[in-house]
Amino acid sequence: MTEVQLDLTVNGRRHRLSVPAHYSLLDVLRDELELTGTKTNCLEAECGVCTVVLDGKSVASCAVLAAQCQGREVTTVEGLAEGAALHPLQEAFVEFGAVQCGYCIPGMIMTAKAFLDENPRPTREAVREAIAGTLCRCTGYQKIVDAIMAASQRLSQQGERA
Amino acid sequence: MKLEFLAPQTLQDAVTMAKARGDAARFIAGGTDLVIQARKSGTWPEAVINLQQIPDLGEIKGSGQNFSLGSLVTHRQIEREGRFAGALEALRESACVIGGHQVRNVATVGGNLCNASPAADMVPILLCLNAEVALAGSEGRRVVPLASFIEGPRKTKRAHDEVMTEIAFSAPAQKFASAFLKGGRRRAMEISIVAMAGVVSVSRDGKLTDVRLAMGAAGPKAIRLTEVEKFLEGKALSKDVLEETGRLAAAAASPIDDVRASASFRRHLAGVYARRVVELSWNRISEVGNDRSAA
Ligand SMILES: Cc1cc2nc3c(=O)[nH]c(=O)nc-3n(C[C@H](O)[C@H](O)[C@H](O)COP(=O)(O)OP(=O)(O)OC[C@H]3O[C@@H](n4cnc5c(N)ncnc54)[C@H](O)[C@@H]3O)c2cc1C
Repeated sequence: MTEVQLDLTVNGRRHRLSVPAHYSLLDVLRDELELTGTKTNCLEAECGVCTVVLDGKSVASCAVLAAQCQGREVTTVEGLAEGAALHPLQEAFVEFGAVQCGYCIPGMIMTAKAFLDENPRPTREAVREAIAGTLCRCTGYQKIVDAIMAASQRLSQQGERA
Repeated sequence: MKLEFLAPQTLQDAVTMAKARGDAARFIAGGTDLVIQARKSGTWPEAVINLQQIPDLGEIKGSGQNFSLGSLVTHRQIEREGRFAGALEALRESACVIGGHQVRNVATVGGNLCNASPAADMVPILLCLNAEVALAGSEGRRVVPLASFIEGPRKTKRAHDEVMTEIAFSAPAQKFASAFLKGGRRRAMEISIVAMAGVVSVSRDGKLTDVRLAMGAAGPKAIRLTEVEKFLEGKALSKDVLEETGRLAAAAASPIDDVRASASFRRHLAGVYARRVVELSWNRISEVGNDRSAA
Protein backbone atom coordinates (compact mmCIF):
# COMPACT_ATOMS: atom_id res chain seq x y z
CA MET A 1 0.00 0.00 0.00
CA THR A 2 2.96 2.34 -0.32
CA GLU A 3 2.18 2.91 -3.98
CA VAL A 4 -0.65 5.22 -4.94
CA GLN A 5 -2.93 4.74 -7.91
CA LEU A 6 -3.03 8.03 -9.76
CA ASP A 7 -5.45 9.33 -12.33
CA LEU A 8 -3.92 12.51 -13.66
CA THR A 9 -4.58 14.66 -16.73
CA VAL A 10 -1.44 16.26 -18.14
CA ASN A 11 -1.64 18.63 -21.11
CA GLY A 12 -5.09 17.25 -21.92
CA ARG A 13 -4.04 13.59 -21.82
CA ARG A 14 -5.33 11.32 -19.11
CA HIS A 15 -2.81 9.02 -17.43
CA ARG A 16 -3.34 6.18 -14.99
CA LEU A 17 -0.22 5.41 -13.02
CA SER A 18 1.01 3.64 -9.95
CA VAL A 19 3.75 5.57 -8.14
CA PRO A 20 5.48 5.55 -4.74
CA ALA A 21 3.59 7.74 -2.25
CA HIS A 22 6.53 10.06 -1.63
CA TYR A 23 6.84 11.00 -5.30
CA SER A 24 6.39 14.67 -6.04
CA LEU A 25 4.44 15.90 -9.02
CA LEU A 26 7.84 16.79 -10.48
CA ASP A 27 9.04 13.17 -10.14
CA VAL A 28 5.96 11.93 -11.97
CA LEU A 29 6.22 14.46 -14.79
CA ARG A 30 9.91 13.88 -15.44
CA ASP A 31 10.53 10.24 -14.51
CA GLU A 32 7.20 8.55 -15.25
CA LEU A 33 5.82 10.65 -18.10
CA GLU A 34 9.22 11.74 -19.47
CA LEU A 35 8.05 15.32 -19.76
CA THR A 36 11.49 16.77 -19.11
CA GLY A 37 10.58 20.32 -20.12
CA THR A 38 9.86 20.94 -16.42
CA LYS A 39 13.25 21.32 -14.76
CA THR A 40 14.61 20.06 -11.43
CA ASN A 41 16.64 22.47 -9.36
CA CYS A 42 16.48 23.46 -5.68
CA LEU A 43 13.81 20.94 -4.54
CA GLU A 44 12.78 23.42 -1.81
CA ALA A 45 10.19 25.49 -3.73
CA GLU A 46 12.57 28.45 -3.45
CA CYS A 47 13.56 28.85 -7.09
CA GLY A 48 10.35 28.32 -9.07
CA VAL A 49 12.16 26.51 -11.89
CA CYS A 50 9.84 23.47 -11.55
CA THR A 51 6.63 25.56 -11.78
CA VAL A 52 3.68 23.98 -13.58
CA VAL A 53 0.01 24.95 -13.69
CA LEU A 54 -2.25 22.77 -11.50
CA ASP A 55 -6.01 23.35 -11.91
CA GLY A 56 -5.28 26.83 -13.24
CA LYS A 57 -2.81 27.88 -10.54
CA SER A 58 0.98 27.98 -10.58
CA VAL A 59 2.60 25.56 -8.15
CA ALA A 60 6.14 24.40 -7.41
CA SER A 61 5.89 20.79 -8.62
CA CYS A 62 8.76 19.75 -6.32
CA ALA A 63 6.70 20.60 -3.22
CA VAL A 64 3.42 18.97 -4.23
CA LEU A 65 3.00 15.25 -3.62
CA ALA A 66 1.79 13.51 -6.77
CA ALA A 67 -0.78 11.70 -4.63
CA GLN A 68 -2.38 15.07 -3.84
CA CYS A 69 -2.98 15.60 -7.58
CA GLN A 70 -5.44 12.73 -7.89
CA GLY A 71 -8.07 13.59 -10.52
CA ARG A 72 -6.55 17.01 -11.20
CA GLU A 73 -5.31 18.76 -14.34
CA VAL A 74 -1.74 19.76 -14.98
CA THR A 75 -0.30 21.92 -17.74
CA THR A 76 3.43 21.87 -18.37
CA VAL A 77 5.49 23.86 -20.85
CA GLU A 78 5.03 21.02 -23.35
CA GLY A 79 1.30 21.73 -23.33
CA LEU A 80 1.45 25.34 -24.49
CA ALA A 81 2.22 25.19 -28.21
CA GLU A 82 -0.53 24.14 -30.58
CA GLY A 83 1.24 21.91 -33.09
CA ALA A 84 4.03 24.02 -34.57
CA ALA A 85 2.50 27.29 -33.39
CA LEU A 86 4.15 28.57 -30.24
CA HIS A 87 2.07 30.10 -27.46
CA PRO A 88 2.21 33.95 -27.46
CA LEU A 89 4.32 33.81 -24.27
CA GLN A 90 6.84 31.50 -25.92
CA GLU A 91 6.92 33.68 -29.04
CA ALA A 92 7.50 36.81 -26.99
CA PHE A 93 10.31 35.19 -24.95
CA VAL A 94 12.10 34.32 -28.22
CA GLU A 95 11.46 37.69 -29.79
CA PHE A 96 12.64 39.76 -26.81
CA GLY A 97 15.74 37.65 -26.16
CA ALA A 98 14.41 36.79 -22.71
CA VAL A 99 16.21 33.44 -22.76
CA GLN A 100 19.89 33.06 -21.96
CA CYS A 101 20.91 29.75 -20.40
CA GLY A 102 17.25 28.76 -20.56
CA TYR A 103 17.07 26.64 -17.43
CA CYS A 104 14.47 28.76 -15.62
CA ILE A 105 12.42 29.48 -18.72
CA PRO A 106 9.86 26.64 -18.57
CA GLY A 107 9.10 27.61 -14.95
CA MET A 108 9.12 31.30 -15.80
CA ILE A 109 6.69 30.82 -18.68
CA MET A 110 4.32 28.66 -16.62
CA THR A 111 4.41 31.20 -13.76
CA ALA A 112 3.53 33.91 -16.28
CA LYS A 113 0.84 31.76 -17.92
CA ALA A 114 -1.12 31.23 -14.69
CA PHE A 115 -0.67 34.89 -13.77
CA LEU A 116 -1.87 36.26 -17.13
CA ASP A 117 -4.86 33.92 -17.14
CA GLU A 118 -6.01 35.65 -13.95
CA ASN A 119 -4.69 39.14 -14.74
CA PRO A 120 -4.92 39.74 -18.49
CA ARG A 121 -3.69 43.38 -18.46
CA PRO A 122 -1.17 43.68 -15.63
CA THR A 123 1.18 46.57 -14.83
CA ARG A 124 4.95 46.01 -15.07
CA GLU A 125 5.11 46.18 -11.29
CA ALA A 126 2.51 43.43 -10.96
CA VAL A 127 4.46 41.24 -13.40
CA ARG A 128 7.63 41.71 -11.36
CA GLU A 129 5.74 40.73 -8.22
CA ALA A 130 4.23 37.70 -9.98
CA ILE A 131 7.62 36.29 -10.94
CA ALA A 132 9.25 37.02 -7.56
CA GLY A 133 9.19 33.30 -6.77
CA THR A 134 10.85 32.26 -10.04
CA LEU A 135 14.56 32.94 -10.15
CA CYS A 136 16.66 33.69 -13.22
CA ARG A 137 20.36 34.13 -12.66
CA CYS A 138 21.22 35.29 -16.21
CA THR A 139 19.01 38.04 -17.54
CA GLY A 140 18.33 40.53 -14.78
CA TYR A 141 14.62 40.12 -15.55
CA GLN A 142 14.20 43.20 -17.81
CA LYS A 143 13.72 41.22 -20.99
CA ILE A 144 11.60 38.62 -19.23
CA VAL A 145 9.24 41.36 -18.00
CA ASP A 146 9.26 42.96 -21.49
CA ALA A 147 8.28 39.61 -23.01
CA ILE A 148 5.48 38.98 -20.51
CA MET A 149 4.09 42.49 -21.06
CA ALA A 150 4.15 41.99 -24.85
CA ALA A 151 2.49 38.59 -24.53
CA SER A 152 -0.24 40.04 -22.32
CA GLN A 153 -1.08 42.57 -25.04
CA ARG A 154 -1.19 39.93 -27.75
CA LEU A 155 -3.25 37.57 -25.65
CA SER A 156 -5.83 40.19 -24.80
CA GLN A 157 -6.03 41.29 -28.46
CA GLN A 158 -6.60 37.66 -29.43
CA GLY A 159 -9.22 37.46 -26.70
CA GLU A 160 -11.04 40.50 -28.09
CA ARG A 161 -11.04 39.08 -31.62
CA ALA A 162 -12.26 35.67 -30.51
CA MET B 1 11.24 4.62 2.26
CA LYS B 2 7.73 3.29 2.71
CA LEU B 3 5.50 6.31 2.95
CA GLU B 4 1.81 5.55 2.95
CA PHE B 5 -0.68 8.09 1.61
CA LEU B 6 -4.11 8.16 3.23
CA ALA B 7 -6.94 10.11 1.66
CA PRO B 8 -9.90 10.50 4.04
CA GLN B 9 -13.05 12.10 2.62
CA THR B 10 -14.43 13.25 5.96
CA LEU B 11 -13.11 14.94 9.08
CA GLN B 12 -14.20 11.96 11.16
CA ASP B 13 -12.19 9.54 8.99
CA ALA B 14 -9.12 11.76 9.19
CA VAL B 15 -9.29 11.79 12.98
CA THR B 16 -9.89 8.02 13.14
CA MET B 17 -6.90 7.32 10.88
CA ALA B 18 -4.65 9.60 12.93
CA LYS B 19 -5.79 7.98 16.17
CA ALA B 20 -5.13 4.48 14.78
CA ARG B 21 -1.68 5.36 13.46
CA GLY B 22 -0.43 7.35 16.42
CA ASP B 23 2.61 9.57 16.11
CA ALA B 24 3.84 7.82 12.98
CA ALA B 25 1.23 9.59 10.87
CA ARG B 26 1.11 13.30 10.02
CA PHE B 27 -1.62 15.39 8.47
CA ILE B 28 -0.75 17.10 5.22
CA ALA B 29 -2.40 20.25 3.86
CA GLY B 30 -0.41 22.23 1.25
CA GLY B 31 2.71 20.24 2.05
CA THR B 32 5.05 23.22 1.64
CA ASP B 33 6.52 22.70 5.10
CA LEU B 34 6.04 18.96 5.48
CA VAL B 35 7.30 17.73 2.08
CA ILE B 36 10.31 19.97 2.01
CA GLN B 37 11.33 19.25 5.61
CA ALA B 38 10.93 15.49 5.03
CA ARG B 39 12.97 15.53 1.83
CA LYS B 40 15.70 17.69 3.35
CA SER B 41 16.05 15.61 6.50
CA GLY B 42 15.56 12.32 4.67
CA THR B 43 13.02 11.25 7.30
CA TRP B 44 9.47 10.80 6.14
CA PRO B 45 6.64 9.90 8.49
CA GLU B 46 5.23 6.39 8.04
CA ALA B 47 2.03 7.86 6.68
CA VAL B 48 0.58 11.19 5.63
CA ILE B 49 -3.13 11.87 5.98
CA ASN B 50 -4.33 14.24 3.27
CA LEU B 51 -6.72 16.93 4.51
CA GLN B 52 -7.41 18.46 1.10
CA GLN B 53 -10.49 16.40 0.29
CA ILE B 54 -12.34 17.14 3.51
CA PRO B 55 -15.28 19.38 2.66
CA ASP B 56 -15.79 22.89 4.11
CA LEU B 57 -12.27 23.55 5.38
CA GLY B 58 -11.34 25.84 2.50
CA GLU B 59 -13.67 28.78 3.00
CA ILE B 60 -13.44 32.27 4.43
CA LYS B 61 -16.70 33.01 6.24
CA GLY B 62 -18.21 36.01 7.95
CA SER B 63 -18.84 39.68 7.48
CA GLY B 64 -18.86 42.86 9.54
CA GLN B 65 -17.04 41.99 12.75
CA ASN B 66 -16.91 38.20 12.94
CA PHE B 67 -14.88 36.06 10.58
CA SER B 68 -13.54 32.57 10.32
CA LEU B 69 -10.83 31.15 8.13
CA GLY B 70 -11.10 27.47 7.27
CA SER B 71 -7.76 25.82 8.10
CA LEU B 72 -7.22 24.93 4.43
CA VAL B 73 -7.67 28.50 3.21
CA THR B 74 -4.57 29.36 1.19
CA HIS B 75 -2.46 32.48 1.61
CA ARG B 76 -3.50 33.37 -1.94
CA GLN B 77 -7.18 33.41 -0.90
CA ILE B 78 -6.45 35.67 2.07
CA GLU B 79 -4.32 38.02 -0.02
CA ARG B 80 -7.18 38.47 -2.50
CA GLU B 81 -10.06 38.60 0.02
CA GLY B 82 -12.15 41.72 -0.60
CA ARG B 83 -13.66 41.63 2.92
CA PHE B 84 -10.17 42.17 4.35
CA ALA B 85 -9.43 45.23 2.19
CA GLY B 86 -9.40 48.37 4.34
CA ALA B 87 -9.40 47.93 8.11
CA LEU B 88 -8.19 44.32 8.05
CA GLU B 89 -5.53 45.03 5.44
CA ALA B 90 -2.81 43.55 7.68
CA LEU B 91 -4.24 40.08 7.03
CA ARG B 92 -3.69 40.56 3.29
CA GLU B 93 -0.27 42.13 3.90
CA SER B 94 0.83 39.15 6.00
CA ALA B 95 -0.38 36.58 3.46
CA CYS B 96 1.06 38.29 0.39
CA VAL B 97 4.68 38.07 1.54
CA ILE B 98 4.70 34.32 2.15
CA GLY B 99 6.93 32.82 -0.55
CA GLY B 100 6.06 33.40 -4.19
CA HIS B 101 2.80 32.75 -6.04
CA GLN B 102 3.70 29.06 -6.35
CA VAL B 103 3.88 28.69 -2.56
CA ARG B 104 0.88 30.90 -1.72
CA ASN B 105 -1.32 29.00 -4.18
CA VAL B 106 -1.02 25.83 -2.09
CA ALA B 107 0.27 26.76 1.40
CA THR B 108 -2.50 27.07 3.99
CA VAL B 109 -3.13 29.21 7.05
CA GLY B 110 -3.74 26.09 9.16
CA GLY B 111 -0.37 24.70 8.09
CA ASN B 112 1.31 27.97 8.97
CA LEU B 113 -0.11 27.89 12.53
CA CYS B 114 0.34 24.13 13.12
CA ASN B 115 3.92 24.17 11.85
CA ALA B 116 4.54 26.84 14.52
CA SER B 117 7.73 28.33 13.18
CA PRO B 118 8.72 31.40 15.25
CA ALA B 119 8.78 33.24 11.90
CA ALA B 120 5.30 32.13 10.73
CA ASP B 121 3.96 35.31 9.15
CA MET B 122 0.22 34.80 9.76
CA VAL B 123 0.67 34.57 13.52
CA PRO B 124 1.30 38.22 14.55
CA ILE B 125 -1.85 39.70 13.01
CA LEU B 126 -3.99 36.80 14.21
CA LEU B 127 -2.64 37.39 17.74
CA CYS B 128 -3.67 41.04 17.44
CA LEU B 129 -7.18 39.90 16.46
CA ASN B 130 -7.33 37.56 19.50
CA ALA B 131 -7.91 34.65 17.14
CA GLU B 132 -9.09 31.31 18.46
CA VAL B 133 -8.40 28.01 16.74
CA ALA B 134 -10.85 25.12 16.61
CA LEU B 135 -9.47 21.59 16.90
CA ALA B 136 -11.38 18.38 16.21
CA GLY B 137 -9.97 15.13 17.58
CA SER B 138 -10.93 11.75 18.95
CA GLU B 139 -11.85 13.39 22.28
CA GLY B 140 -14.19 15.85 20.61
CA ARG B 141 -14.00 19.48 19.60
CA ARG B 142 -12.30 22.31 21.48
CA VAL B 143 -11.44 25.93 20.92
CA VAL B 144 -8.07 27.31 22.04
CA PRO B 145 -6.81 30.91 21.92
CA LEU B 146 -4.00 31.15 19.37
CA ALA B 147 -1.84 32.85 22.00
CA SER B 148 -1.76 29.68 24.09
CA PHE B 149 -2.04 27.22 21.16
CA ILE B 150 1.53 27.97 20.05
CA GLU B 151 3.83 27.02 22.91
CA GLY B 152 7.26 27.46 21.37
CA PRO B 153 9.30 26.70 18.25
CA ARG B 154 7.36 23.93 16.42
CA LYS B 155 5.45 23.13 19.60
CA THR B 156 1.68 23.48 19.91
CA LYS B 157 -1.16 22.29 22.14
CA ARG B 158 -2.49 20.13 19.27
CA ALA B 159 -2.76 16.42 20.03
CA HIS B 160 -1.52 14.26 17.15
CA ASP B 161 -5.04 13.16 16.18
CA GLU B 162 -6.49 16.68 16.23
CA VAL B 163 -7.25 18.45 12.97
CA MET B 164 -7.32 22.23 13.09
CA THR B 165 -10.60 23.08 11.41
CA GLU B 166 -10.89 26.85 11.60
CA ILE B 167 -9.43 30.06 12.91
CA ALA B 168 -12.03 32.56 14.19
CA PHE B 169 -11.66 36.19 15.18
CA SER B 170 -13.68 39.32 15.87
CA ALA B 171 -12.60 42.71 14.61
CA PRO B 172 -12.70 45.60 17.12
CA ALA B 173 -16.17 47.13 17.51
CA GLN B 174 -14.99 50.73 17.05
CA LYS B 175 -13.28 52.23 14.01
CA PHE B 176 -9.80 50.72 13.62
CA ALA B 177 -6.97 50.15 11.16
CA SER B 178 -4.20 47.57 10.89
CA ALA B 179 -0.77 47.13 9.36
CA PHE B 180 1.88 44.44 8.92
CA LEU B 181 5.54 44.86 8.07
CA LYS B 182 8.25 42.29 7.79
CA GLY B 183 11.98 42.62 7.55
CA GLY B 184 14.17 40.24 5.61
CA ARG B 185 17.40 40.62 3.69
CA ARG B 186 15.52 41.31 0.47
CA ARG B 187 11.98 42.17 -0.52
CA ALA B 188 10.71 38.87 -1.89
CA MET B 189 10.96 35.20 -0.94
CA GLU B 190 12.43 35.80 2.47
CA ILE B 191 11.86 34.29 5.88
CA SER B 192 11.16 37.10 8.34
CA ILE B 193 13.95 38.25 10.61
CA VAL B 194 11.37 40.41 12.36
CA ALA B 195 7.65 40.61 11.64
CA MET B 196 5.32 43.18 13.22
CA ALA B 197 1.55 43.51 13.11
CA GLY B 198 -0.61 46.18 14.67
CA VAL B 199 -4.27 47.06 15.14
CA VAL B 200 -5.13 50.50 16.49
CA SER B 201 -8.25 52.52 17.18
CA VAL B 202 -8.54 56.23 17.83
CA SER B 203 -10.94 57.69 20.40
CA ARG B 204 -13.22 60.67 19.68
CA ASP B 205 -10.72 63.04 21.23
CA GLY B 206 -8.00 61.82 18.89
CA LYS B 207 -6.10 59.54 21.25
CA LEU B 208 -4.87 56.01 20.59
CA THR B 209 -7.03 53.34 22.13
CA ASP B 210 -7.25 49.54 22.10
CA VAL B 211 -3.76 49.30 20.60
CA ARG B 212 -2.63 45.78 19.77
CA LEU B 213 0.88 44.97 18.63
CA ALA B 214 2.41 41.57 17.98
CA MET B 215 5.91 40.62 16.96
CA GLY B 216 7.18 37.48 15.22
CA ALA B 217 10.64 36.03 14.54
CA ALA B 218 12.22 37.93 17.43
CA GLY B 219 11.90 35.21 20.07
CA PRO B 220 10.92 31.55 20.43
CA LYS B 221 7.33 32.41 19.50
CA ALA B 222 5.38 35.41 18.31
CA ILE B 223 4.11 37.53 21.20
CA ARG B 224 1.81 40.46 21.93
CA LEU B 225 3.78 43.51 23.06
CA THR B 226 1.64 44.22 26.11
CA GLU B 227 4.03 46.77 27.64
CA VAL B 228 3.96 48.84 24.46
CA GLU B 229 0.18 48.46 24.19
CA LYS B 230 -0.29 49.76 27.77
CA PHE B 231 2.07 52.64 27.16
CA LEU B 232 0.22 53.74 24.00
CA GLU B 233 -3.29 53.61 25.48
CA GLY B 234 -4.75 57.12 25.66
CA LYS B 235 -1.73 58.80 24.02
CA ALA B 236 -1.72 61.07 21.00
CA LEU B 237 0.90 60.13 18.45
CA SER B 238 4.07 62.23 18.68
CA LYS B 239 7.74 61.85 17.97
CA ASP B 240 8.48 61.14 21.63
CA VAL B 241 5.71 58.59 21.88
CA LEU B 242 7.00 56.77 18.81
CA GLU B 243 10.52 56.76 20.17
CA GLU B 244 9.40 55.21 23.44
CA THR B 245 7.35 52.68 21.43
CA GLY B 246 10.52 51.58 19.64
CA ARG B 247 12.51 51.40 22.86
CA LEU B 248 9.90 49.27 24.63
CA ALA B 249 9.47 46.94 21.64
CA ALA B 250 13.22 46.37 21.34
CA ALA B 251 13.34 45.59 25.06
CA ALA B 252 10.55 43.01 24.65
CA ALA B 253 12.43 41.11 21.93
CA SER B 254 14.39 37.99 22.89
CA PRO B 255 16.01 37.28 19.55
CA ILE B 256 18.59 34.72 18.52
CA ASP B 257 21.71 35.01 16.39
CA ASP B 258 21.42 32.91 13.26
CA VAL B 259 22.42 32.87 9.61
CA ARG B 260 19.73 35.39 8.76
CA ALA B 261 20.55 38.13 11.27
CA SER B 262 22.34 38.84 14.54
CA ALA B 263 20.34 39.19 17.73
CA SER B 264 21.30 42.84 18.06
CA PHE B 265 20.12 43.66 14.53
CA ARG B 266 16.85 41.85 15.18
CA ARG B 267 16.39 43.87 18.37
CA HIS B 268 17.08 47.08 16.47
CA LEU B 269 14.59 46.12 13.76
CA ALA B 270 11.96 45.26 16.38
CA GLY B 271 12.07 48.88 17.54
CA VAL B 272 11.99 50.30 14.03
CA TYR B 273 9.08 48.14 12.89
CA ALA B 274 7.03 48.77 16.05
CA ARG B 275 7.29 52.52 15.41
CA ARG B 276 6.46 52.17 11.73
CA VAL B 277 3.51 49.85 12.27
CA VAL B 278 1.95 52.15 14.88
CA GLU B 279 2.45 55.19 12.67
CA LEU B 280 1.20 53.44 9.54
CA SER B 281 -1.98 52.12 11.16
CA TRP B 282 -2.65 55.52 12.80
CA ASN B 283 -2.33 57.16 9.36
CA ARG B 284 -4.65 54.57 7.87
CA ILE B 285 -7.46 55.24 10.34
CA SER B 286 -8.73 58.18 8.31
CA GLU B 287 -8.73 56.08 5.13
CA VAL B 288 -10.64 53.01 6.28
CA GLY B 289 -14.37 52.87 5.84
CA ASN B 290 -15.39 51.05 9.00
CA ASP B 291 -16.62 53.91 11.15
CA ARG B 292 -19.69 52.40 12.74
CA SER B 293 -20.22 55.33 15.10
CA ALA B 294 -20.60 57.70 12.13
CA ALA B 295 -23.17 55.50 10.40
C1 LIG C 1 9.83 28.73 -0.66
C2 LIG C 1 9.05 28.87 0.61
C3 LIG C 1 8.89 30.11 1.17
C4 LIG C 1 8.17 30.27 2.36
N1 LIG C 1 8.06 31.52 2.88
C5 LIG C 1 7.37 31.69 4.03
C6 LIG C 1 7.22 33.00 4.58
O1 LIG C 1 7.71 33.99 4.03
N2 LIG C 1 6.51 33.13 5.74
C7 LIG C 1 5.95 32.06 6.37
O2 LIG C 1 5.31 32.25 7.39
N3 LIG C 1 6.08 30.81 5.87
C8 LIG C 1 6.78 30.60 4.72
N4 LIG C 1 6.93 29.34 4.22
C9 LIG C 1 6.42 28.19 4.99
C10 LIG C 1 5.08 27.59 4.58
O3 LIG C 1 4.76 27.85 3.25
C11 LIG C 1 3.92 28.04 5.48
O4 LIG C 1 4.20 27.77 6.82
C12 LIG C 1 2.62 27.34 5.07
O5 LIG C 1 1.56 28.15 5.48
C13 LIG C 1 2.41 25.93 5.59
O6 LIG C 1 1.14 25.46 5.14
P1 LIG C 1 0.97 24.06 4.36
O7 LIG C 1 -0.47 23.93 4.07
O8 LIG C 1 1.88 23.95 3.21
O9 LIG C 1 1.43 23.08 5.53
P2 LIG C 1 1.89 21.55 5.50
O10 LIG C 1 3.29 21.45 5.07
O11 LIG C 1 0.89 20.72 4.81
O12 LIG C 1 1.79 21.25 7.07
C14 LIG C 1 2.63 21.88 8.01
C15 LIG C 1 2.47 21.20 9.38
O13 LIG C 1 1.18 21.47 9.93
C16 LIG C 1 0.41 20.27 10.08
N5 LIG C 1 -0.93 20.64 9.61
C17 LIG C 1 -1.23 21.32 8.47
N6 LIG C 1 -2.55 21.59 8.42
C18 LIG C 1 -3.10 21.07 9.54
C19 LIG C 1 -4.44 21.05 10.08
N7 LIG C 1 -5.47 21.63 9.44
N8 LIG C 1 -4.66 20.42 11.27
C20 LIG C 1 -3.62 19.84 11.92
N9 LIG C 1 -2.34 19.85 11.47
C21 LIG C 1 -2.09 20.46 10.30
C22 LIG C 1 1.12 19.22 9.26
O14 LIG C 1 0.98 17.95 9.83
C23 LIG C 1 2.56 19.69 9.32
O15 LIG C 1 3.16 19.27 10.51
C24 LIG C 1 7.62 29.15 3.02
C25 LIG C 1 7.76 27.89 2.43
C26 LIG C 1 8.46 27.74 1.25
C27 LIG C 1 8.59 26.37 0.65
